[in-house]
Amino acid sequence: MTIFDPMLWLIAIRSLFQHRVRTSLLGAAIAVVTALLVSLAGIYVGMKTTLLVSATTLMSGHVNVAGFYKSTASSSAPVVTQYQKLRDIVQRDVKDLDYVVQRGRGWAKLISDSGSMQVGIGGIDIVNEPGFVKVVQLKSGSLEGLKRPDGLLLFEEQARKLDVKVGDRLTFSAPTFKGTNNTIDVTVVAIAANIGMLSSWNTYMSDQGLRQLYQLNDETTGALQIYIKDLSKVRAVQELLRKSFAAEGFELLDNDPRPFFAKFDGVNRESWTGQKLDITNWEDETSFVQWFVTILTVAATTVIFVLTVIIGVGIMNVMWISIRERTREIGTLRAVGMQRRSVLAMFVTEGFLLGLMGTTAGVVVGGVLSVVLNNAAIKLPKGAQLVLMSEKLIVAPTAGWIVFAVLFITGVITLISLIPSFLAARLKPISAMSHVG
Amino acid sequence: MNSIVSIRDVVKEYELGTTVVQALRGVNLDVQKGEFLSIAGPSGSGKTTLLNLIGCVDTATRGVVQVAGRDTARLTERELTDLRLNTIGFIFQSFNLVAVLNVFQNVEFPLLLQRKLGAKARKERVMSLLEQVGLHTHARHRPSELSGGQRQRVAVARALVTEPLLVLADEPTANLDSETGNQIIDLMKELNVKKGTTFIFSTHDHKVMQHANAVIRLADGKVLARESAKDAVAHALSLGEAPTAEARA
Repeated sequence: MTIFDPMLWLIAIRSLFQHRVRTSLLGAAIAVVTALLVSLAGIYVGMKTTLLVSATTLMSGHVNVAGFYKSTASSSAPVVTQYQKLRDIVQRDVKDLDYVVQRGRGWAKLISDSGSMQVGIGGIDIVNEPGFVKVVQLKSGSLEGLKRPDGLLLFEEQARKLDVKVGDRLTFSAPTFKGTNNTIDVTVVAIAANIGMLSSWNTYMSDQGLRQLYQLNDETTGALQIYIKDLSKVRAVQELLRKSFAAEGFELLDNDPRPFFAKFDGVNRESWTGQKLDITNWEDETSFVQWFVTILTVAATTVIFVLTVIIGVGIMNVMWISIRERTREIGTLRAVGMQRRSVLAMFVTEGFLLGLMGTTAGVVVGGVLSVVLNNAAIKLPKGAQLVLMSEKLIVAPTAGWIVFAVLFITGVITLISLIPSFLAARLKPISAMSHVG
Repeated sequence: MNSIVSIRDVVKEYELGTTVVQALRGVNLDVQKGEFLSIAGPSGSGKTTLLNLIGCVDTATRGVVQVAGRDTARLTERELTDLRLNTIGFIFQSFNLVAVLNVFQNVEFPLLLQRKLGAKARKERVMSLLEQVGLHTHARHRPSELSGGQRQRVAVARALVTEPLLVLADEPTANLDSETGNQIIDLMKELNVKKGTTFIFSTHDHKVMQHANAVIRLADGKVLARESAKDAVAHALSLGEAPTAEARA
């Protein structure tokens, strides 16, 4: 008699049903843990997805071709020259390419009538940035205004601090890469909803305007942001581009999985001059917020682990009770010719079924909970908004996580049930049949 | 050789703390195929221990127990289980049916363990046996829905479903009223006559032992005598038990 034998399943199902109060309580506990796992997975996936979409649209491509230009050994500018040639190579060699955009990068003082603040500037060509339009949620104004050389997009938080609205004039003041200081006047053309950390320190203006501010030529930009269709190929594309650019005679920095602004000190200490390219991916550029995702992952894993252990101990105890109650039955079955492995299979089947029923109920509860949480649009605390690039809690469990939750918890429960089942199978028929209690 | 059970100089000792209790003290016994044998004796005489050794659910401390020509001491746990499944049928005092299975499934269970018959053949075998024990109309009932006598009849059907050479019954009527007990013994006797199955049953009730071909009288772990049912009943009555109307007849 194997675990696939219908009679074992029948005995398991009916035994569970016969002790339905105990089964219900234990099943409910398993369901709660599963629902928690599904919900936490949903939060994790929601966070990662939001982070991915926001970060890859607003501050990074899936893969980035950036770099540093050093006119002297100790001064570097985060720019790439000959970007059009680089873009041609990307379009020629990356088979999985979705689209590629060039994005200027800068760091300047933004001055209004009532205050000032240091901000990062992204120079965008709004006509060729389809992803940007989808991600930014406008509160006032229009993204069309970014076609103007002096158009500026601010986030709500910045607009509040600077006390400005759409149509107001401000001034950017920034040191150019040549070492001089330059200013330009800009007009607020759009105010967007806060997107976490970006809302506090990044602004967007037209690519043309940024070039004026930093006095860049048409061949120079901050970075090429490359978007590919299959995210699993990010590292392969990185490697491919490193080879392609090297073959075309471009100098490259060693791979360094950090955002570009964390590399200035290291680059400035090196003795080379001229242009070196730096190929990064979205995880490198957002690694400064990844720690939060990691902490949340560790916390969620710990919670699930502890709950699984508690449930596991409960399952084992209940299996002990069940085996004690059915010791005489085990003795009888052994006496009439049931092999030890079949007794083992019988109780493992029971544990497996209990786990499967509990986890199935749990994923349903977890799914419903996720929908409820999403619809409730719970506002995240400021600190969480900062790193998650989202104002609201997004819970998005995937089919993969749901299947994982069912398989993992059912697997753990089945494994745990092996211990008492094994001991039940070891019982001698005579001892089991003469058991009292 | 026609012997299905052969027991030589069997001793069975149990350890109760620091005390060693001898349940069987040098028992010798031969049981021939087709016998309807009763093991009689008072409580604590060693009846159940002897049946457990013959049934391969326990092992002797010393001596040889041969069942169907196989020395049980030389068999592995797995081989002992196979021997129980294919050669021996058990009927227990307290029926020992699986509560969550219905009558049909309880009887079918040993056949499923054997994996020899297909579903159709299994169904025919089970229904035929249930008809013989008069429970074919109760096939879908659970044990909890049956009377004690009906449960024991299910146990009889379960014991016989694999067509074993030997059926062991430990006090099969002890939990039944006398009328139902007689019905069960009559049923066992009928199957013994029709199919030639060997039955060994323990009892201390002379009303039950009078149906046997022979009676093994045990006391204090020793075989006192192997005698006819008539002599055994007479012996029981001489010890002061009141004769029943059936015994007097």
